[in-house]
Amino acid sequence: MRPIWATVIATWSLFAVLAILAWTRPQPASAPQPIPGAVVVKGKNGTSNLVVVQPGAATSHATTRTSPVPAG
Amino acid sequence: MMVAQSVPVAWLVARSAGLVALAFLTVSVTLGLALSTRLLGNKRGKLLLGWHQTLMWTGLAMVALHGGALALDPVMRFGFVGVLVPGAAPWRPLPVAAGIVTGWLMLALAASFHVRRTIGQGRWRLMHYASFVAFGIGLYHALNVGTEFSGARGLIIAGALAAPVTWLVYARILIPRAAKKPPTRPAPEPTTRPQAESRPAVPA
Repeated sequence: MRPIWATVIATWSLFAVLAILAWTRPQPASAPQPIPGAVVVKGKNGTSNLVVVQPGAATSHATTRTSPVPAG
Repeated sequence: MMVAQSVPVAWLVARSAGLVALAFLTVSVTLGLALSTRLLGNKRGKLLLGWHQTLMWTGLAMVALHGGALALDPVMRFGFVGVLVPGAAPWRPLPVAAGIVTGWLMLALAASFHVRRTIGQGRWRLMHYASFVAFGIGLYHALNVGTEFSGARGLIIAGALAAPVTWLVYARILIPRAAKKPPTRPAPEPTTRPQAESRPAVPA
């Protein structure tokens, strides 16, 4: 009977410690949330405009096709 | 599987089994010392001796689980040689070797209960002193590589485990053991019945 009791105590102790360790396990750090920024854009005529920039927003970048350099 | 990827099961089982194994080893050593010092009396000696032996085997089973989980842990990559052979571990070989030696000593101590009559009481008692070594280097192993034993928390846990053992070792050394008394013979039964019945009644 004694070995059975010892096995029961050991098993429950193991599960209890396992549960505590799993519960208190540090979670992996998540990626920081993107913070929107603001930039001041000055126009040609001297006016200033405040533009809010969303860093997380995936926007397609407009690219300009370079023209071939004229020969000669 | 998603769960297996997110929760390091082998790592958590290894840590839990290591903690439970150290606790069982501590209780077993404490019980052995309590028996040796006879602080708990002689009446329950047989019962406590049984628990002393059983807890050593149960602690050994936890050590086996601790080593097996570490051998299978995909991050630590000890392998079975790394957890069975002292010094073969690729990470912090000395403290890990202390843990492996503790496990082997626990196996020898647990097995020694069954060969006690074969090897004789004197040798068995001499061999039993290895339990102090096992406890000491097991604690060293826990303090150096145990995740739960880092910082002040580790010192508090180690102190709580070492305190009863240390106190009982001092008691074992300082308290003089009672000298063995020769077995006393029971008083001989009276061969003749007392003469009370034949006594003449006292007149009122």
